[in-house]
Order: sequence, then C-alpha cells, then structure tokens
Amino acid sequence: MNANEQPFSIHQFYSQLKHHHLSMVAQGLISQDILSLIALSLKRRPDNEVVARRLFAIVVELSQNIFHYSAIKEFSVKDQREIGVGIVAVGESDTHYVVASGNVAKRESALFVAQQCDYINQLDSEALRQYYREQRRKPIREGSMGGSIGLIEIVRKSGNPIRYEVIPLEDGNVFLIFVASVSKARSYAD
Amino acid sequence: MENFFISADTFIPEINFNAQTGELNISGESYHEYTLEFYQPVFNWLTEYLKTPGRNIVLNFRMTYYNTSTSRRFLELFDMLEDYQQQGKGTVTVNWYYKPDDIDMKESGEEYADDVSLRFNLIPLEH
Repeated sequence: MNANEQPFSIHQFYSQLKHHHLSMVAQGLISQDILSLIALSLKRRPDNEVVARRLFAIVVELSQNIFHYSAIKEFSVKDQREIGVGIVAVGESDTHYVVASGNVAKRESALFVAQQCDYINQLDSEALRQYYREQRRKPIREGSMGGSIGLIEIVRKSGNPIRYEVIPLEDGNVFLIFVASVSKARSYAD
Repeated sequence: MENFFISADTFIPEINFNAQTGELNISGESYHEYTLEFYQPVFNWLTEYLKTPGRNIVLNFRMTYYNTSTSRRFLELFDMLEDYQQQGKGTVTVNWYYKPDDIDMKESGEEYADDVSLRFNLIPLEH
C-alpha cells in the first residue's frame, strides 16, 4: 500500500453514503440480474409509481451505457463475453432523486457523447420527442449497440438536462460521469 | 404453423403468439442487454408467419417497462406488420394497453402510432 493512501474504512464509506443520501451503489459488472434487484427496490420506495418507473428507466439506460461502452471490460461467465464495468449510484435530496454513473471511456467517444448531451439539453420536450423518434428510425451508428437514444430517453424521463463531466486520466483515457435528476413531484410531465 | 411462446422473466417479456387465431401477445418488462439476440427468434417466427396472406392479426401489447434498445426492436416488429398490411396481404390491429396512471406508456404508444400506418387502439387497463 502507498504510504499516503488511507486504509479502507467501511465506517467512513458508510458515513459518506449516509451524508449524500445514497441508498444504492453498484460497482463492477452491472448485469441485468443486478438491474432487476434495483428495479425491485426502487419500486418499493418512491410513493409515486410514475416517478419510480422513470428512475428505474434512467438506471437501466446509464447501466447499459456502461455495459456496452466502458473502456474497462471484464469477462462475464454468465454472458460468456466481455462486458463493461463502472459505477452507478442512486441518491436523493429533498426535492429530487439523483442517478449518477461513471466509467472509464476512450477520450474521443466521451467527447462525442458530451456533444450529444449539449445538443439534447437545449431541446424542449416536443423537440426531444421528435429527435427520439428520428434516432430510433436511424440505423445504429458504427460500433454502437444502439445507445444513442439512451441519452434522449434519460433527459425525457428525468425532465431535467443531463449533467456530465469528463475527467482526464493519466493513461489518456477519461472518466466519464453522468448525473440525472428526477423531480419527486410528477407535475412537470402532466 | 406452430405457436410461439417465451415465458416471462424479470427482464424479458412473455411472448405468446397464436398462429391459428392471429393473436400476438407481448407483456411484461423488457430490458435484456442483448435485445438483437433475444428478439431474433421472435422475428424469425413472424417472418415465416407473414409469408401466408389472409391473416387478421391482433397484436396485444401489455408492457409495463422496456428499455430504448427494446424500443428499436418493437419498431422493427411494427414495420414488418405494416409491410404485410400495405402489401394487401392481410389486416393488422395493435391494442396498446397501459395502466391509467402511466402517462409515459400511453405516450410511447402514441409515438409508435405516429410512426407506422397501423391501427392503434390505446386502451387503459382496468384495475
């Protein structure tokens, strides 16, 4: 262990989770089995079913983004193939639920996605609807599993712009972060 | 022709296609990671099924959640049915069910209805 590295403290970890009201954090291979458990726990929590479903939709899209696009992959015995790894967390403030994701990504693909976010974030709900349908009609782009409409879905379901951050890493890759927040009140989409 | 059946699991829907009656049922949730692979047998069956003209097809959709990847597959499915009808081979009706409070699922149905020339009935599920 590095001399200035603190030993892991689960107490400190617990306090941080508590402090930021993070109820769920998954790191590593976020498989559909894990997603279905998350679905179950989300469905139990928010008293508003519509909000719970939207929250879950965002978790799925962010997790499957990681699954398909993370630059770090691990071999999944169950799937019999390499799948991307990363981190997904669900937390809340007084007014919003927040879903955050992070994964190592190639610089170019992160910049492409960032551009996509900037474009999507300035669209109003009717334009988002049109763009979603347009993208769904399009053949999926090279090297993509079809995630291009994932971001649009996230913004539509959350009712808020998607925030992102691209942190350069020493090896030339970047750490790509997405944060989506869903209002606890459902009125915005009615 | 044989009927087609896949039983539901947490992240895959129940698929129940009846070759005799023309009733095609899809219900549940769909967020499989590899939707192309999962839906391929469904498309294969439907391709065979649509080779015979004169069918009156009713597609009953009772989905509570599906991911964006699945949403592409559903569009492909509607496209196949639209072709069948437009070639004058038979008729197709889509019954799109949604929970009354699920405004998102209702909207998803409306969007598909705008995207393909098929008769869409948007039907709130009774509790």
